[in-house]
Amino acid sequence: MSKALLSIRDTSKHFGTVRAVDEISLDIMENEFFALLGASGSGKTTLLRLLGGFEFPDSGSILLDGEDISRIPPNHRPINLMFQSYALFPHMSVAQNIAYGLEMEKLPRPEIDARVNEVLDIIQLSGLAQRKPDQLSGGQRQRVALARALVKRPRLLLLDEPLGALDKKLRSEMQLELKRIQDKFGITFIVVTHDQEEALVMADRIAILKDGQLLQCGSPHEIYEHPQTRYAAGFIGTMNFFPVHLSGKTLVMDDGGRISAAIPEGLTEGSEAVAAVRPERLHLAHKAYKNKLTGRISAIAYHGLDLQLHIEAAASPQPVMVRLTADEAEGQPLSIGDDVTVGWSAENTRVFRD
Amino acid sequence: MADRRPIYLMSPALAWLTAFMVVPCLLILVLGFFRRGIYGGIEYTFTLENMALVFDPLYAGIFLKSAVIAGLAASIAVVIGYAAAYAIASMPARRQPILLFFAVLPFWSNYLVRTYAWIVLLNREGLIVALARYLGFEGELPSMLYTESAVVVGLVYNYLPFVILACYAPLSRLNTEIVEASRDLGASGWTTFRRITLPMTVPGIATGFVFVFVLSIGNFVTPALLGGGQFQMIGNLVYAQFLTANDWPFGAALSMVLIAIMMGLLTLQTFATERASGARRVEG
Amino acid sequence: MADRSTQRLMLLIIAAVFAFLYLPISVLFALSFNEGGLPTAWTGFSVKWYGELLANNDILQAAFNTLIVAVASTIVATLLGTLLAIGVEIRRRNGRFLETIIFAPMIIPDIVLAIALLSFFSMLDVRMGLHTIIVSHVVFNLAFVCSVVRARLKTFDWSIVEASADLGATTVTTLRRIVIPVLTPAVVAGALLAFTLSVDEFIIAFFTAGAGRESITLPMQIFAMIRFGVTPEINALSTIVMTISVIALALSQRLNRGGIPGQ
Repeated sequence: MSKALLSIRDTSKHFGTVRAVDEISLDIMENEFFALLGASGSGKTTLLRLLGGFEFPDSGSILLDGEDISRIPPNHRPINLMFQSYALFPHMSVAQNIAYGLEMEKLPRPEIDARVNEVLDIIQLSGLAQRKPDQLSGGQRQRVALARALVKRPRLLLLDEPLGALDKKLRSEMQLELKRIQDKFGITFIVVTHDQEEALVMADRIAILKDGQLLQCGSPHEIYEHPQTRYAAGFIGTMNFFPVHLSGKTLVMDDGGRISAAIPEGLTEGSEAVAAVRPERLHLAHKAYKNKLTGRISAIAYHGLDLQLHIEAAASPQPVMVRLTADEAEGQPLSIGDDVTVGWSAENTRVFRD
Repeated sequence: MADRRPIYLMSPALAWLTAFMVVPCLLILVLGFFRRGIYGGIEYTFTLENMALVFDPLYAGIFLKSAVIAGLAASIAVVIGYAAAYAIASMPARRQPILLFFAVLPFWSNYLVRTYAWIVLLNREGLIVALARYLGFEGELPSMLYTESAVVVGLVYNYLPFVILACYAPLSRLNTEIVEASRDLGASGWTTFRRITLPMTVPGIATGFVFVFVLSIGNFVTPALLGGGQFQMIGNLVYAQFLTANDWPFGAALSMVLIAIMMGLLTLQTFATERASGARRVEG
Repeated sequence: MADRSTQRLMLLIIAAVFAFLYLPISVLFALSFNEGGLPTAWTGFSVKWYGELLANNDILQAAFNTLIVAVASTIVATLLGTLLAIGVEIRRRNGRFLETIIFAPMIIPDIVLAIALLSFFSMLDVRMGLHTIIVSHVVFNLAFVCSVVRARLKTFDWSIVEASADLGATTVTTLRRIVIPVLTPAVVAGALLAFTLSVDEFIIAFFTAGAGRESITLPMQIFAMIRFGVTPEINALSTIVMTISVIALALSQRLNRGGIPGQ
C-alpha cells in the first residue's frame, strides 16, 4: 500500500445535461480492496465504466502506473471487469469462457490450459469445467465470471455489484471468499456497490459518491465514526438525527435540552443544525453522560445478541433508535409505554450544518 | 375458469383444421402412390412409379435447379437481412420498433403486386432501361426480365422483411454486457462479432434461411412472372401437373418431396436453435 | 463505445435496405398517376387510370368477389381463432402435436395447401367456387387470429378472472365485463390481419376457385393481367390494393402493439 496504482484526476462525464461523474479525483493503491459506494444514480457505475474503457471521460485523466489510459479501448487495457449480470458467454463451456481472454492474448494452447486449470482449482469448480453457464447455480456463475476476469492477471479488477444477484446467505459467504481470492492473487480490486454493509465488511477503503461527486473517502472505521456530511452519516449504518440550534455557545434540542459536542465552524447564533448519534452510543445508564434525552418506549425488538428500542421523544421527529447489548439490557424491566432517559457522550456526537 | 373444459372452446377450430388441412394433406401423401388414369383421373392401384419418376434425371434436374435458385435467394436474403437487423438493433432503443415496423410492412402487403413492381422496373420498356437510355447508354441492353437473376431478385425482395425480423429477434435480445465482456477480455470488435455475436444469433439466421429456402423452392408465382416460363421450378411443375397436365398422382409425389425437404430443413433449424441454446437465458 | 464511422455505416445500411424495399413500390404508385401511362415519360398528373378501373366490369366483379371472400372468411376465422386461443391458453400445457397443428397453417407453403385442398374438394365432388375459397382461407386466417389473440392472453393476468368471481360476478358477467374488454383490441387486430391476408391471397384461391369466371378474385384478376404485361390499369389497381393492406395493417398494429405474428 505504498504507491498509487490508479489515479483518477478531475474526471468528468456528462450524458446530455446529467453530470454522471463530476470532477472526481481519487488515488487507489496497489493491492487495495477499494469500494465505490453510492445509491443508484450516484455515478458509481459510470465511474467504473470509465475505468473499464466503455466510456471515455469528457475531461480529466485516468492514470494507471502513471500512464494516461483514459482514451484506450477496453481490449487494450490491463484492467478487467466482472459484470453485474456476469455476462458469461452462453454458447461456451466454463473452461471455454475462462480461456477466451487468454486466447485473445494469443498465448500457446498448453499455457492457456494450464492457467485455466489453475484458476478452476482456486475457485473450486474443476469438476464443472465442461458445463454450460445455464447449467450452473447463481453462486457458481459468479465464480466463473470472477475466474474469467482473474485468469488474465489484470493490474486492476473492477467488480460491478458482484454479490447483487446472490441470496443473503451466499452473499455473506462470498464477501469473505472475495477477500480470500483477492489476497491470493494479489490484485487490486475496485468494487461498486450500493450495499453499505458489504462495503464495510470487504473494503480497505470506501469512497462515497452522490450525484456524481465524491463525498468522502476513507477506511470503513473513518467513514463510520467520522462521517463528514449528513448524507454520509445517514447512508452508512443507522443514525439518529436531532434538529438543534445554536444558542450562545451551546446547542439546544427541540425539547430544550442542551447537548455538548464539537460545534462545526461557521455555525452562527440561532442557526439550525443537526446532531447525529449512533444507536449503539446511547445508554440507559445516562448518569455518566453529559447529553441526555427523555422519551417513551414505542417498540422493542430483540435481535439475538442485542435489543433495539424505539423511543418517541420531543427532541426528535422520528423515533430514536437505541441499541442495547444483552449485558446492558440485563435486569432492566423494559416495556412499551415506559418513560426512559438515555445518555451519550460529546465525543460520539457529530453536528452537521445541514 | 379453470374448471371449464377448454376443449369445447378449441374443438370448432380444431375440427376445421383437421377437415381442411390435416385430411387434405394426408390425402396428398396417399395420392402420390396411386396410378394416373388413362383420361387423367386416378386409378386406385398402388404404385411407386410416381416416386421413381421424381428421381428421373429430367425432374431431378428441375429439383436441383430450384434448390440452387432457392439457396441463392436464401443466402442473399440472409446476408442483407442480417446486416439490416444488426443495423436496426444498433440504433437507439426507442427508434427500433418503428424501424422494424417499416422493414416488415411490405411483407404483409400483396405478393403479386410486389412482384409486379419488378416487372415494371426490369421490362424492356421499363424504368431501368429508360434510366440507362437517359444516362446516355445506347445500343442493345441485355434482357433483365425473364432471367434467373430476375427470379432471385424477386424472391429476395419478397422475403427479405421476414429475414430481418428473424435476425432481429436474437440480436435485440443480446445482452450488451456480453459484448462488452468480450471487449474487456481483449477481443477486437471483429473477433467479438465472429466469436460471440454471430454464434449467439445463429437461430435467427437459420430461421431466416430455412423460411426463404422453403418458400422459394415451392414458389410458382415468381418464376411464372419474372422467369416468364423460360425455365421451370418445382412449383411450376406441381402447378402444371394439377392444372394442365392433369397428372395428380405425379403432382402429389412432387409435393411430397417438397414437404420432405421442408421438414428436413425445419428439423435442422430446430437443431441449430438448440445448439445455440442458453442464448435465451441471458436475454433482458 | 459506438464510434462515429460504425454508426454512419449502420445508418447507410438501413437507408440502402429501405430504399430497396420501398423504391419499387413507390415507382408503381407514381406511375399509376401518370397521365400517359408509360414508365418512360412523365406526362402529367392524372387519376384517369383509376377511372378506367371503375369502368372495367371484370375488375369490379373480382373486387366484389374478394370482398365476399375476405369478409366471410374473416368472420368465421375470428370466431374460431379467438375461441381456440382462449382454450389453448387456459389449458396452458399443450402437447407438441397440438401446437404443431395450430402453427402449421402459418408455415405450410401455399402451394402444398392449395393442391391438397384442390384434391380434397374434387375427390369429394364438391363444386368449387367462392364458398370453397372461403373455407380454405379460414384455415390460415384462424391460425393468424389465434396467434394474435394468444399473444395478448400470454400477458393476461388470469387472477383477475378469479378476482371477478371472488367479488361475486357470474361466469357470464366475468366474460362480458372483464375478458371481452381486455381481448377486444387483440381480436379486432387479428380480424384486420385476417382480412388483409385474405384480400391478398392468390395461390390457394387460384386452386380452389373452380373453373368458372364468376368466382375470380382480385389477385387472380391481377395475375391474369400481369401475364399480359405492364399496363397503367394494373398500376392503379396495385396502388389501391397496397393502400388497403397498409391501412388495415397499421390499424391492426395500433390496436395491438407489437401484435403482428412473428414480431
